[in-house]
Amino acid sequence: MNPKRKALAVAVAGTALGAAGLGLLAVPAGAGEAPELPPVGAQALVQSVLEADPPALAGTVAFDNQLGLPSMPGVPMLDMDSARVYYDGEGDSRIAVQDGNSEQTIVRDGNTVWMYDSATDTATKTDARSHHPREENPQGRMSDPAAAAADLVSDLRASSTVSVDGTARVAGRPAYELVLTPKPEERTLLREVRVAVDSESRLPLRLSVLTNGTTEPALQLGFTDIDFGAQPAELFEFTPPRGATVTEAEPDVEGARDAARAGEPRLVGEGWDAVLVGRVPADVLSGGEEDGNVRGMLDRLSTRVSGDWGSGQLVSTSIGTAILTDDGRFALGAVPQQVLTKALATR
Amino acid sequence: MTETLESAPPPSPAADGPSRAPLPRLLRAELRWIFRRPRTLVVLGLLAAIPVIIGVALTLVDSPGPPDGGGDGDGGSLVATAAGNALVLPIAALAMALGLLLPLTAAMVGGDALAGEQAHGTLRGWLLAPVSRGRLLFVKAFGVATFAVCAAGVMALTGIVTGLVINGTDALVSLSGTTLTFPEALLKVAIAAGWVSLQLWAVGAVALAISACTEHPMVVLASVLGGVVVFSVLQFLDALDWLHPFLLNASWQDLADVLRDPMPGGALAEGALRAACYIAIALSLAYARLSTKDG
Amino acid sequence: MSTAVTGVDVPGTGASTPASPPAARTRGLRKTYGSTVAVDHVDLDIPEGAVLGMLGPNGSGKTTTIRMLLGLVRPTAGEASLLGHPMPAGAAHALPHVGALVEGPGFHPFLSGRENLLRLGAAEPKLSGREIPRAVDAALERVGLAGAATRRYRGYSLGMKQRLGLAAALLVPRRMVVLDEPTNGLDPAGTREVRSIIAELHAAGVTVLVSSHLLAEVEATCTHVAVLHAGTVVAQGELAELLESGSPGLVVSTPDAAEAVEALRRNRIPSRLTPEGVRVDLTATTAPEVVSALVHAGVSVHEARRARTGLEDLFARLTQQESNGEVSR
Repeated sequence: MNPKRKALAVAVAGTALGAAGLGLLAVPAGAGEAPELPPVGAQALVQSVLEADPPALAGTVAFDNQLGLPSMPGVPMLDMDSARVYYDGEGDSRIAVQDGNSEQTIVRDGNTVWMYDSATDTATKTDARSHHPREENPQGRMSDPAAAAADLVSDLRASSTVSVDGTARVAGRPAYELVLTPKPEERTLLREVRVAVDSESRLPLRLSVLTNGTTEPALQLGFTDIDFGAQPAELFEFTPPRGATVTEAEPDVEGARDAARAGEPRLVGEGWDAVLVGRVPADVLSGGEEDGNVRGMLDRLSTRVSGDWGSGQLVSTSIGTAILTDDGRFALGAVPQQVLTKALATR
Repeated sequence: MTETLESAPPPSPAADGPSRAPLPRLLRAELRWIFRRPRTLVVLGLLAAIPVIIGVALTLVDSPGPPDGGGDGDGGSLVATAAGNALVLPIAALAMALGLLLPLTAAMVGGDALAGEQAHGTLRGWLLAPVSRGRLLFVKAFGVATFAVCAAGVMALTGIVTGLVINGTDALVSLSGTTLTFPEALLKVAIAAGWVSLQLWAVGAVALAISACTEHPMVVLASVLGGVVVFSVLQFLDALDWLHPFLLNASWQDLADVLRDPMPGGALAEGALRAACYIAIALSLAYARLSTKDG
Repeated sequence: MSTAVTGVDVPGTGASTPASPPAARTRGLRKTYGSTVAVDHVDLDIPEGAVLGMLGPNGSGKTTTIRMLLGLVRPTAGEASLLGHPMPAGAAHALPHVGALVEGPGFHPFLSGRENLLRLGAAEPKLSGREIPRAVDAALERVGLAGAATRRYRGYSLGMKQRLGLAAALLVPRRMVVLDEPTNGLDPAGTREVRSIIAELHAAGVTVLVSSHLLAEVEATCTHVAVLHAGTVVAQGELAELLESGSPGLVVSTPDAAEAVEALRRNRIPSRLTPEGVRVDLTATTAPEVVSALVHAGVSVHEARRARTGLEDLFARLTQQESNGEVSR
């Protein structure tokens, strides 16, 4: 063969091969044709979700947001890359939240919850006997789609149209798409909430929040890969490493103190346009070393607003808005600004 | 110039078939050349010193204090974790050097391999022997790969030794807080070194492709340096997230995954596949260029 | 620079022992770099066992022709063959038997001369692994570098570098050796040594291609000559034939040279003084007439012989004619 042609052939073949491989990497995992599944009613699907016990599994949960906020390194919840979740099917779990190059590991072993932070090399032991595991820890709760989706479904049934809208493939598994659409009279920024439910285990695999006028989910929490099956028992044991700082925490007491200091926040309105109104503990904003951070962060994110309810700073995202008034009250919800200010006005 | 006419040619028309030097001999000669070069040795020495310097610095500072914020780019928090953890030190050093230093060394070797030889007029010597251009590229790619393994290996090695000297064998703790046995820890470091080698080889392959197009090794170095910087910047732009899976350094941050227990393999496998794709593209382009260019 | 076929029709072009196939030949060889034509219409024949001197001023396309012959450069048009194999396709067949020093010596500065040759030896198909060190030492010995074998190439003088390049070309017994400007940077002694090496190779039946812009060197060592000018071959053939093709002349040895020139001028015979004696142009006259003219004038003639047309004359004349021809065309 003509060497020029041969060279060209090799170049084209190699480049095509490499580009195909890269293209494969760029295609989001789990995408693909919608699987064919026997039809199921919305009611039955919700029911089965609420009834199903999550089986033993190992998976990776990824959190995506398109909130329209500037990227904020260091803001914990927005910065979470992904978490690996292990569950033994009987209540013990291990969640490893990956945060840059450090990791927070939460191991629930029977009645003991260990939390280990590699960045500070600290291990915190909590006695979990008295509470429900799901309410144990906000981070754990967010990272467990099962809990998050189930809660949402039951709460929103009253004000939403619940339907099954086709199927999807999530983390390689066929799933039903349960869609919650706000009823027309609801004043909300959200268009719909979709929950992908595994066709077999009825485990919610993905939760997506979509807003008006966008096709990409504003918020998405879901498995990127998942394997069902028994997990090695040592995953659910934790021994603090030598040299780590070990503390025993009583989160309940502390939480109660926080709540008392803050004044119990209350919900104004119900359904999709519910607004959470409350008072920010004074020392969060003024004092403590966090002070500069919180105020500085707010200044960067917010715009000043005022009205007959007072004046304050407004933070708008694609899925919701929040107002922090100058006198320390706050209101937030998945609603437009007017609903918030109305809620603030109803003292 | 004495009369040594016995080395004059015996007319041997029979031995006229195509003949070529055995490949292992070429590979050996190439490796001897790479590792006899003072520059290579200096760079390897420097790389070997990095984990030691980090380890000593962390020990001298004593208590690193609570790291601020966590996940701060290239192993920033890893380095903090490396104090008092013999397992983390080699990997933190690798992760840190993978950001810029290691790619540059791979680019240096890739640049010397073709452009440097071309500049010295030495490439001709092998082409006239003759060594076919395909074999030449194979030998060069092998040399770059070997250097990549050595560069990552030497850092891992001094990292482990430094970590063990400072912290002893009991301080082998994964990021997930599990305590590892020494062989387990060694395996993790080996995986990290192997993975870093693969990434470096990909950089080296790209360097070879550029190297095949120029006579100036500095052009290769500058191009790779520019490429790494541009790729790093692109990595930070969220608006371009569709582009990120195509960037070689997309998974360089994920090296810390080997420190987790159990080890999540997804991102590392993805990174390995990405490196393989880069190698396929770069080496095929390098071949196309090398096989048609004038020697 | 259009299709200027051999500008001068020199007798003897291509007329070489037709019995054996040429060790190297090119037909219609052309190489362009962008719009620059480096070599055009080069038809070269190097007979087996010949020592061909490739003459030409700098930039005349000598090196490009050699590089195409060796398969380093792909011709834009035309073909080249080496030891009967088409180049560059047949490189694997031909090149093991060809030693070459092209475009000056190229070695790694941080390696010693010996290490450099060992590296080259590793790539030589005709050497087994065990033979390499011996072949390297023999080659170093042959070019007189045995003493400096372990010194770094970086510290070599220009001449030593050139010798090392020569050693690389002679690493293996060759059927053909190509030397591009082999005496560059060599002192007179070195030049003599190169000549003797070429002579040795020739005696052993090796075909040698030497390029040079130094005419004396070609004249001293070659059996055949090809003259390149502006990318084309303007003359080629056996050295002896080319020498005879020049204008006939007579060299007269006489103690009264000035007087002889004066006497010849009076007889309208062109002549001039050269170190060998009085050189007389015989284009318009004959040798007896010259001698009788001198005798009549009372000039004592010690010796009168046919003048060799110096290759220098030929070279200058051919290239001169070529450029004149182009102007007039």
